[in-house]
Amino acid sequence: MIDTILFYLGIGLLFIGGVMDIIASIGFFKFKDFYTRLHAATVGAIGGGFYPLLGVALAVMGLDVDLWFKAVFSGVSLITAAIIALGVPAGSHILARSVYRSREVEPTVIADRLREDLEGGGSN
Amino acid sequence: MGRASIAVFTLILALIYLIYTGSYGVLEVMIALIAGLGVALLLATDLVRDPGKLSITRFSRAVGYLLKYFTIIEAQAHWGVVKLILKPGASYKPAIVRIPYEVSSEYSIVSIANSITNTPGTVVVDVDEDKKFFYVHWINATTLKDQEVRRIVSEVFEKEISKIFE
Repeated sequence: MIDTILFYLGIGLLFIGGVMDIIASIGFFKFKDFYTRLHAATVGAIGGGFYPLLGVALAVMGLDVDLWFKAVFSGVSLITAAIIALGVPAGSHILARSVYRSREVEPTVIADRLREDLEGGGSN
Repeated sequence: MGRASIAVFTLILALIYLIYTGSYGVLEVMIALIAGLGVALLLATDLVRDPGKLSITRFSRAVGYLLKYFTIIEAQAHWGVVKLILKPGASYKPAIVRIPYEVSSEYSIVSIANSITNTPGTVVVDVDEDKKFFYVHWINATTLKDQEVRRIVSEVFEKEISKIFE
């Protein structure tokens, strides 16, 4: 019983991950600006990278195989998911910061508090 | 850093090593324990400045926060961005907003920034550690006032994380 629930929960997470990847790639075409595309990239990385790995871990735990097999596969998936969850925000933060500081792309925004503070020195 | 913490850290590292190699002979276990002990002794003083803060309560709070974060908060944030992508002609107002924070330890700042960046729709562009501001690119800015932005974007992270790391 619990095995079946784990297996289908994992398969469901894998399916959600695939859908999220497709939506993220559509978002890359729809958004025109570097910074807004970063948000689509986050959807692809967390929804399409982190959750499918959790799904693999859960689905393997529900399979009818040896315990060492379950331990190796779900352990590796969980550790990789943790590394993704820690590495992705560092990567997108450093991309955004370096592009902003080098003025490679000017953001199309309705308000830019960082530029105000960097150049004006005033605060409100 | 006490001996108990070193032992726990060594065992966790050895467990990760054994899971990755996938074989559980005596030699592998010995290598795992020795490598884990070495890494623990090397990094413990840098990673843990104040051993008094290590406790079971804080750890269980962290587990609870992670469970809540990766189910409810991420689902809501994903749904917001997916709606923007799939709805034809959806209008959005990107802005770089300023969010004040009131925590002091490095772990808290990094965890809050990671939580903000990991939710689709908000990316931390810059951090001002002297004035205690995050500068966040927000894809659909409904308000530009600092305190209201903080209430919408980062207050839940800050409340939970300050209980874990402060």
